[in-house]
Amino acid sequence: MKKMTTLLGAALLASTAATSAFGAETLHMIMCGDDTTPGIPVQQGLISDWEKQNPDFKVEVEFVPWGQCQEKSMTLAAAGNPAALSYMGSRTLKQLAKNGLIIPMDLTDEEKASYAAPILGTVTWDGKIWGLPRAFSTKALFYNKKLFKEAGLDPEKGPQTFDELLADAKVITEKTDAAGYAMAGASFDNSMHQFLNLVYSNGGQVIDADGNIDFDSANNVQTMELVKNLVPYAEPGPVAYNRGKLETLMGEEKAAMMIDGHWLYDRVPADVDMGVVPVPAGPMGKHSSLLITDSLAVFKGSGQEDAAMSLAKFLTSPDHQMAYDIAEGYTPIRGGQKVDELLAKDPSWKPFIDIIPAGGPEPFVTDYVSMQDSINEALQGVILGEVDPKEAIETAAENLEDAQ
Amino acid sequence: MSAPAPKKPVDWFPYLLLLPALAVTLIIVAWPLAETVRLSFTDASMNPVTHYVGLENYQKMFARRFPEVIGRTFVWMVFSVSLKLLIGLYAAVLLNAAVPGRTLARILIMPPWIVPVAIGVFIWGWMYNGQFGMISGLAQRLGLLSGPFEFLAYKNAAFLSTVVTDVWIGTPLVAVYLLAAMQGVPRDLYEAAWTDGASRFYRFRRITLPLIMPAIATMSLLSAIWTFNSFDIIWILTEGGPRNATTTMIIDTYKTAISRFHYGEGAARAVMIVIFLSLFSALYFALIRKLSSRGDVK
Repeated sequence: MKKMTTLLGAALLASTAATSAFGAETLHMIMCGDDTTPGIPVQQGLISDWEKQNPDFKVEVEFVPWGQCQEKSMTLAAAGNPAALSYMGSRTLKQLAKNGLIIPMDLTDEEKASYAAPILGTVTWDGKIWGLPRAFSTKALFYNKKLFKEAGLDPEKGPQTFDELLADAKVITEKTDAAGYAMAGASFDNSMHQFLNLVYSNGGQVIDADGNIDFDSANNVQTMELVKNLVPYAEPGPVAYNRGKLETLMGEEKAAMMIDGHWLYDRVPADVDMGVVPVPAGPMGKHSSLLITDSLAVFKGSGQEDAAMSLAKFLTSPDHQMAYDIAEGYTPIRGGQKVDELLAKDPSWKPFIDIIPAGGPEPFVTDYVSMQDSINEALQGVILGEVDPKEAIETAAENLEDAQ
Repeated sequence: MSAPAPKKPVDWFPYLLLLPALAVTLIIVAWPLAETVRLSFTDASMNPVTHYVGLENYQKMFARRFPEVIGRTFVWMVFSVSLKLLIGLYAAVLLNAAVPGRTLARILIMPPWIVPVAIGVFIWGWMYNGQFGMISGLAQRLGLLSGPFEFLAYKNAAFLSTVVTDVWIGTPLVAVYLLAAMQGVPRDLYEAAWTDGASRFYRFRRITLPLIMPAIATMSLLSAIWTFNSFDIIWILTEGGPRNATTTMIIDTYKTAISRFHYGEGAARAVMIVIFLSLFSALYFALIRKLSSRGDVK
């Protein structure tokens, strides 16, 4: 009997020990994309470090394909069963914040100062910061030097203005087998992004400083005129193309110019000789770029808000974030010595980093899908020749009021 | 006068056996349906707090091009179902013919139905591509096109492309179903007609067609319901574009409820779909009942 009691006692002790060892609370984190990108091992290492410092938690990272990722996080939150921490396009933050589904980030002045103001602008609404920037991109105009040469253009001089862009696209279309300009017009978020790069470079905007819709402007009509004028020199049927498909055309040298992020260098064959210049400036503006960030957002109602906040801050602290940016090939979110080293090693980053202070944030609206649809529909109408640029901008501006 | 027969006690046991099935039906069909109807009268969205809004969602729906979407859905369905039936019937006749290799042909017709829909549609998406796609390339080689043509970039071409893909996926089932019906037609009828000198077309028109008509009716109604509800083909190819040219009721509902998180407005659209599909179902059951009473369907 005594033996039995001792055995039972030992079993109870062992089970208690096991419970404390394996009893760490699971913290659910949603990441967009898959786990094969080069930054993921860096992130996983950092998560392990955080878990060592916070032994009460075990982070379970769920990778969700881009097409469903944001919808999944938002649907879970709306259903009252949110992930503790989610990777979100920053454009969704206002919608989430307005509906009380995420909590504002608790940043010290020093932490805020570590970000460039335009970057913080992509996650700020109503005076509060709603996400910590995790991935950042700026855009520039890539051009194919071989096709420029073939068309009799100077391969060392990319277009600097809307007029030069149009003239170069025309010459290339007429003198080579390639399209002059790669234009996105599919029902996709990055078609709108491509257009907004041109909008900002012509002094236009979607929303003014007070948060009102300011899309119906002479600047934006002029930018839409450029789109209309570029259509004959773009690839056939731009409405079927999103940015990803255009990258294939650039890789195959079937298009000579395209606005894109630095990652295009990695997506075209090494023997495609490309130059890069800032997005051409319109008659009413100067070189600019759309600044897009994706963020880590802490959801309300998981019961692990403090731990999720701690993890988000840990992952995005200056050194950790820089390691992730460099591994992924993203535009570095913060400046500093590491950026200087990056520029010294690879000067092709210069136009993407220099443009940050002149860039504009992705518009912050309550219903971003509605905004995307409104702008894309205007673009498609002009590309298909169904509406003139002025009417397209006016209609889009009216529809954007609903998105606000 | 004899005494009335003693009243038989009600046997509750069979009803008791039905209870689990009834409970499951209530939980997985009736409750979500009732919840959808309730949501359609609220402003449900991402905001956890919802309010009753009466018919506002329905008014908004009809004010925002919804009648146009309904019309487009019916045109899409009629085009697609008609083509599936015509091609399926023709394929069934060919597969029913006594020719060598018939069994192999019957197997080979099935891949479009067997291949996962998403994969099949992605393949079609590439085929419709102007620069790299097979259709545009072939048309250029044959001199039908002077340059690359993007089938998904233009409204009418995109609409027809989604119809073609839907027909490709849906036809094998129609063909096999009608083939099965044809094989049920008694052979002696054909032999008698052949003895009387009836031509092949006459035999088809006067024997085959009337006898497989119940199967055609059943398949056309089922196909109409499936096509009406079809989502993945359009979503993968065009997401409802360009400029809403391929936005059907299902796509519109998904965009409203899931992409834009307007659950209340989405629910109102879903209710409309339920009404339309209920009408189809009622028609289907009425037809089946009529045919059954005539003894055509056993």
